[in-house]
Amino acid sequence: MSARLSSGIGASEAERPRVKPVLEVRHLEKRYGRVSAVDDVTFEVRERQVVGFLGPNGAGKTTTLRMLAGYLAPTRGHVRVMGVDLEDDPRGAKRAIGYMPEGVPLYPEMRVEEYLRFRAELKGVAKKSVAAFVEEALALVKAADVKERLVGELSKGTRQRVGLADALVARPPILILDEPTAGLDPNQIREMRALVRSLGKERAVLVSTHILSEVEATCDRVVVIGKGKLLAEGPTASIRAKASPEAVEVLARGPSSLAENLRAVAGVARIEINAAGEGLVALRCVLREGAEAGLVAEELAARVQSAGAQLRELRATGGGLEEVFGQLTDAVDARASRDV
Amino acid sequence: MRGLVAICKRELLSFFVTPLAWVLFVVFLVAQGLHFQLVIEHFAQNGLLSDQTPLQAFFGNTVFFYMVLFLFVPALTMRAFAEERARGTLEALVTSPVSTTEIVVAKYLAVLLTYAAMWVPTLLYVVVLGRSGPIDFGATASAYAGALLVGATYLAVGILMSSLTSSQLVALSLSGLVLLGLFLVGLVGESFAKDGTALHDVAVHVSAWATMNDFAAGIVDTRRVVFAASLILVSLYGAVRSVEAARWS
Repeated sequence: MSARLSSGIGASEAERPRVKPVLEVRHLEKRYGRVSAVDDVTFEVRERQVVGFLGPNGAGKTTTLRMLAGYLAPTRGHVRVMGVDLEDDPRGAKRAIGYMPEGVPLYPEMRVEEYLRFRAELKGVAKKSVAAFVEEALALVKAADVKERLVGELSKGTRQRVGLADALVARPPILILDEPTAGLDPNQIREMRALVRSLGKERAVLVSTHILSEVEATCDRVVVIGKGKLLAEGPTASIRAKASPEAVEVLARGPSSLAENLRAVAGVARIEINAAGEGLVALRCVLREGAEAGLVAEELAARVQSAGAQLRELRATGGGLEEVFGQLTDAVDARASRDV
Repeated sequence: MRGLVAICKRELLSFFVTPLAWVLFVVFLVAQGLHFQLVIEHFAQNGLLSDQTPLQAFFGNTVFFYMVLFLFVPALTMRAFAEERARGTLEALVTSPVSTTEIVVAKYLAVLLTYAAMWVPTLLYVVVLGRSGPIDFGATASAYAGALLVGATYLAVGILMSSLTSSQLVALSLSGLVLLGLFLVGLVGESFAKDGTALHDVAVHVSAWATMNDFAAGIVDTRRVVFAASLILVSLYGAVRSVEAARWS
């Protein structure tokens, strides 16, 4: 399966929403001497799409995003922003992108509003609109209450919000966010994810992360890279669906023979008895390929009841991006070691 | 152009909210005040024997004028790019829809304006001197133009040095050394090379000392202006290339 995924999977055109691509990345490559940091990466981002750019640390995510934002020049390949080639018209292309670099570098000596006004002017917002655009960006990221504060005095979470307001301030059609949740606490991560999700309703968002749950929580599509190579690209759901056996875990109070009753359920390939004791039975019912976890869970619950056992817990496991990601990155590691 | 103005404004604002700016201003004025006092004392004792006016002596005929430049120009320019690189803010700046040339020119204009502002209070010296005798306003204007020209050249070199590193200390040291080297090449060549040789001719035009003496005497030699402008352009072009080189690193 991993071989199939790594050969550049993608949803067919029919699966994709009928909106034009705003960001096209074609055969992008960045070499440092003989080392290839990014190697033949191709994908696109369409209007009103939140695309997760996923990869382990050191996979080449930041290098790729820096090329898309115009900070680094590609060794080979093209980036087209709203149909404009980044190398041919960098100013025009950059105007369409709101970029939030990794670590959110800001000027600590400036006040938030002052900083955003500066950024708006720099991005060519008309003089009479600057104040309104700044207000709007601050309202979008819910940071209007800190506009008088010095950037250097802000907490990490608020700094990230100001960084996001900076990316938004000129109303760009494309947002590129490099690890926007890095270093945030769980509450701030939740808020930032909700924010990214809501921003994606109006514009295209490309968001990098090495956290899989983040992609599942916020992204319509996912681009997976490892060791600089594109490993997979497609709708989040379709990639998740490619994960190997899902299972439904059952925890019930009843006889240990319960496993025999459940084995008969159509869609269950095999049952692993994980733990049992104090009258409890813990079973992992591994699903047959193509079986729908929800339907199997319903039948399992009914069988537990009819066997006279009391159901305590029932949950589907596996089949998340974790598995796909693991398979993909393992595959690229294996290939790399073979090549050596 | 709007991007250029925005960056220049931000540079000035950021500089003047730091204590560094005010410390530099105060120390500059104290140093110039002492320098002026030394010149006046000298003229009070030997004035009749001198073939110069006090303003001529003040503008470039003592080593103090250049020492102040060697210290203050690198201090003004060290932040320009080194600080942006160290903080990571250069990434946000370079990915904005402005050209590298605009960024470099904006930063240069900001330090040039600051440098010019530092000289403004010294106009009081002219007022002081005006009380004890007539002032040649033409020569005074050209003396200030000379200070601006030499300063503008040195500031451009300082901007180039700042673009090469992410350490303000390295930028400060590099600028100080290069400016001192440039000054000594001019002074030593002018003083020791044989008159009429190519080396002497070049040295005379490179020499900040000779430039300041001309300007302080009211002589505006366009060759000196062209040389300064060339050095400014070459340095700023070097800074643009240095910032852009990071894209290929």
